[in-house]
Amino acid sequence: MSRINTLLVLLLVVMSGLAVQPACAETFGQFMAEFARSAKSSPGFQSFSAANGEQFFKSTHGNEWSCASCHTEDPANSGKHAKTSKVIKPLAPLVNPERFTDPTKVEKWFKRNCNDVLARACTPQEKGDVLTYLLTIGK
Amino acid sequence: MSERIQVWDVPTRVFHWSMVLSFCGVFLTSESERYRDIHVMLGYTMLGLIAFRVLWGFMGTRYARFASFLFTSGEVLTYVSALARGRAERYVGHNPAGSVAIWLLLFLIIGSGASGVLLFQDIGGDMMEELHEVLSFAMLAVVAVHIAGVVVSSILHRENLVSAMISGTKEAAPEAGEERSYAWLGVIMLLAVVTFWAGYSALSAMAPAEFAGHAEQRDDDD
Ligand code: HEM
Ligand code: HEM
Repeated sequence: MSRINTLLVLLLVVMSGLAVQPACAETFGQFMAEFARSAKSSPGFQSFSAANGEQFFKSTHGNEWSCASCHTEDPANSGKHAKTSKVIKPLAPLVNPERFTDPTKVEKWFKRNCNDVLARACTPQEKGDVLTYLLTIGK
Repeated sequence: MSERIQVWDVPTRVFHWSMVLSFCGVFLTSESERYRDIHVMLGYTMLGLIAFRVLWGFMGTRYARFASFLFTSGEVLTYVSALARGRAERYVGHNPAGSVAIWLLLFLIIGSGASGVLLFQDIGGDMMEELHEVLSFAMLAVVAVHIAGVVVSSILHRENLVSAMISGTKEAAPEAGEERSYAWLGVIMLLAVVTFWAGYSALSAMAPAEFAGHAEQRDDDD
């Protein structure tokens, strides 16, 4: 019996680690404001540019992939994962309203994917440019 | 009276060091989409290894059997309090405290691997993603404790437990030994792992689309 107890306690310890995080929804406007606030702290910041965002999105930055490698040249379309070929839903918030609503996801995917494409984190300027570009799509 | 005897049979050692390799690889590839296929391949490897280990826990040799390291909570407490006083008894197989980490690792490998498979099949949504991450990092923590335990125990009893997990042998009374090594089974396991890696890499390079199916990329649909 007490052997079973030991195992049960172990299992409980593992399970209690599984705290569920509350999700808090935001709008793309709030993300834009957030990126602008961070970008302003760096010298020389003027404004976000859709043209720079597009350029950034479609070019490679030293590694073999660009953002468009997975999201395609037209972010109004569904993309395709460059490694696993799985379908990726459109990135443009006006086409796919689920985009830029969950801070955890936005942060997670910027972190992961900027690392794959640029081998570093994206700057607030870059994030703001990209979002500005994405908001010109599907109008 | 002590002499060099075999404690860990060959399959147990192959299991262990393949697990160590896969575990390092699975973590190094976890934060990137570029290495997603390698991550998945190594995760499957860990699941395959653990499936074998579960069978071996019932059918294996003396010290590989679950029964040999299933201690009562009383035994674990007694051992830990002796350990705190620097007077822990020496065990030829796993000691009671070490076995706690090992049980946790066995469960966490199954949990982490299974949640990874479900996540990859787009089952379970954000919950599954969270679960996979939490279980994996819990495993990382237990691995740290496991390695610390191995170091402490090695110092305490002036024996090198890491080299014992490589050679399979320890100094002990002859009657504590385990004769059967099952070297052939260890070779088959190694071959199976290497064949799987080669086959998986070849397949995923050849036909990524058919290979992954057309499931939706998780995380973008909710
Ligand atoms: C470099 C890192 C590691 C070292 C040096 C190490 C060393 C050892 C040693 C010496 C033992 C035997 C303990 C004893 O004498 O009672 C052992 C057992 C074990 N270790 Fe590790 N270990 C490492 C990493 C890992 C990892 C990453 C995992 C799993 C994810 C793992 C899982 C296990 C398991 C399940 C056992 C029990 C073996 C069995 O009976 O099948 N170890 N380890
Ligand atoms: C058993 C060992 C495994 C370990 C220790 C492990 C560990 C991890 C870790 C640490 C992450 C990063 C989590 C994050 O920071 O978001 C991750 C992500 C991931 N793993 Fe595993 N994994 C394992 C097995 C698997 C398997 C077997 C599969 C699939 C068949 C898999 C599929 C994935 C996927 C798809 C992600 C990305 C999740 C996301 O979208 O955030 N993993 N894994």
